[in-house]
Amino acid sequence: MKEKDDDAAPGGLTRRQLLGSSAALLVGASGAAKGLTFQGTPEWKPFDNVAVEPVDTDTAWQFFTDEEAATVEAIVERLIPADDLSMSGKEAGCAVFIDRQLAGAYGGYERLYMHGPFQDGTPEQGDQSALTPKQRYRLGLGALNDHCRNEHGAVFAELSEEQRDQLLAQLEQEEIQLDDIDTQLFFELVLTNTMEGFFADPIYGGNRDMVSWKMLGFPGARYDYRNYVERHNEDLGFEPVSIGGRPDWQTQG
Amino acid sequence: MKTLMGVTLALVPLAGWAASTEYQDIERGRYISVLGDCAACHTVNDDQPFAGGVPLETPFGTLVAPNITPDATTGLGRWDYEDFKAAMTEGVGKGGYHLYPAMPYPSYTLMNEEDIHDLWSFLQTVTPVENAIEANQLPFPFSIRSVMMGWNWLNFDERSFEPDPEQSDEINRGAYLVEGLGHCGTCHTPRNFMGGAGGDKFAGATIEGWYAPDITPNAHVGIGGWSEDELVEYLQTGGNRYGFASGPMADEVHHSSQHWTEDDLYAVARYLLSGAGLESSDWDHAPPEPLPEDNPQVTAGSHIYFDRCSGCHTPNGGGEEGIFPQLASNPLVNGDNTTSLIRVVLAGSRPVATDAKPTAPAMPSFAWNLNDEEIASVLTFVRNSWGNAAPAVSAGEVADMREELRGD
Repeated sequence: MKEKDDDAAPGGLTRRQLLGSSAALLVGASGAAKGLTFQGTPEWKPFDNVAVEPVDTDTAWQFFTDEEAATVEAIVERLIPADDLSMSGKEAGCAVFIDRQLAGAYGGYERLYMHGPFQDGTPEQGDQSALTPKQRYRLGLGALNDHCRNEHGAVFAELSEEQRDQLLAQLEQEEIQLDDIDTQLFFELVLTNTMEGFFADPIYGGNRDMVSWKMLGFPGARYDYRNYVERHNEDLGFEPVSIGGRPDWQTQG
Repeated sequence: MKTLMGVTLALVPLAGWAASTEYQDIERGRYISVLGDCAACHTVNDDQPFAGGVPLETPFGTLVAPNITPDATTGLGRWDYEDFKAAMTEGVGKGGYHLYPAMPYPSYTLMNEEDIHDLWSFLQTVTPVENAIEANQLPFPFSIRSVMMGWNWLNFDERSFEPDPEQSDEINRGAYLVEGLGHCGTCHTPRNFMGGAGGDKFAGATIEGWYAPDITPNAHVGIGGWSEDELVEYLQTGGNRYGFASGPMADEVHHSSQHWTEDDLYAVARYLLSGAGLESSDWDHAPPEPLPEDNPQVTAGSHIYFDRCSGCHTPNGGGEEGIFPQLASNPLVNGDNTTSLIRVVLAGSRPVATDAKPTAPAMPSFAWNLNDEEIASVLTFVRNSWGNAAPAVSAGEVADMREELRGD
């Protein structure tokens, strides 16, 4: 059996060497760091807030062309169909939600690092595409309608519910290969964004009248549940509340 | 050995000073300056105490508190004691010009000779700062200082403090502090149309866009429901279970009352809570009936309160000791004057941080989230729940305040 040096750290350094070098590193780092020291109370300004401007759902499409918008509405209407539980994704405003998101910072992936080199990467590394959400929708919706025109002689929005369901299933199973864009990349983005629109706060344009929250019994944008945290398996009677409020906030009569 | 030497060396000059009455006078004078809260108006920058420059917004225009350091050209360097005493007790500056009563000489006139003397001794030891201040920035005709002659004739009596022989020494000390040095009525007593002290002493008044609340012993709208300990806690630490000092009162606690002696604070509390100095008919009014629960504003407000306020102030208005004020049975909530209530909901508020309570827990702004009607409703609900009872708040009042604060 080989004799083992207890003090050896990976790479052959002794523990003491390692400690010594990390200490030196810390000293060096603290010397170079531009630290900020806060004393007293943090700054406070009147009217300070992180307000979100509610989406105006009545204005024209901000990003989509009319054909694109009709296509997205025809998609979200089938991804979340109207049934006993809720209205459809179209009625809930999912297309409006996606349109406003694409017109904003999300559309250009402004908070992500979007410069090359772009490589395929491993599955664990996630999305490595150079395409922004705007580009994915523009290319994907165009390619989908090209496919529909070639195969069915009509754009997606003009097809029957059954045809649309079948096409969406084919996209999901990658049985269709769209031109210009990876089918899976496009379909998964649309599916994700549709769910986001259905469940996000109504001020972002979807989840109209808090329909999904009512369906789930989610109480909405509330702050503190200390008085309820020990109460299990009972209906607490919370009406869902949006960041923008709820109908009961208005004086009646 | 080294330490011992240091201690000895440090003690020698101190012992020398302690023997000097002048040193004691100056140190007393320093405390008088704290009691009188001179710094509130005369200190902008803590590095240059008493160099003046705090703008005071009055209904008549802006006044800027002057430099009272001993600087010869821009401060009081050429004044003597008699000049200073005339300013404090008569409202007349060196050379005979009239001060504006934003300088609370109508209160300081009650100061005794010893206190004025010691205050003057202290002010002469302050580092002189060259800082020229144009105190008078009032529009015509208020800019004419001799206007104050007529004002004084109508609104001011030069007088000295007369202890009430019926009352304890402690209450008399409280009276001297409240009526004189502490000049509480300057903010808490409504002004008449000339800006002089009107009737309704201590009944509360609007000052610089805040409500200086009722400090009479009325339990519903005043401080009659507070214990002496709670009042002392407020003045000493900046807050108690009913609220935290904000706006101009935050400055007062920061510069002044947090540094008062416990004896002086209890004297003030006992005097104010006893109502000595007031006629009971002035403050002993029955509270109104609360608005009913089915009042539309109360109903809507109850939902807004539950969704947006109860997380901190708790569903029953009880608050959390030391951080979230209780709203139940809170006189600050019940006052007729809603200026501060609307203001803190709209703009939020960061109260005073004191040595005793350094956290200064802030109220967030709701201006972005609640419209005028919603703020009016939630305030109307709070003002008529859990023992509170007060008139409804209108959306128009909120709109006016929103415009006023946004216009700053």
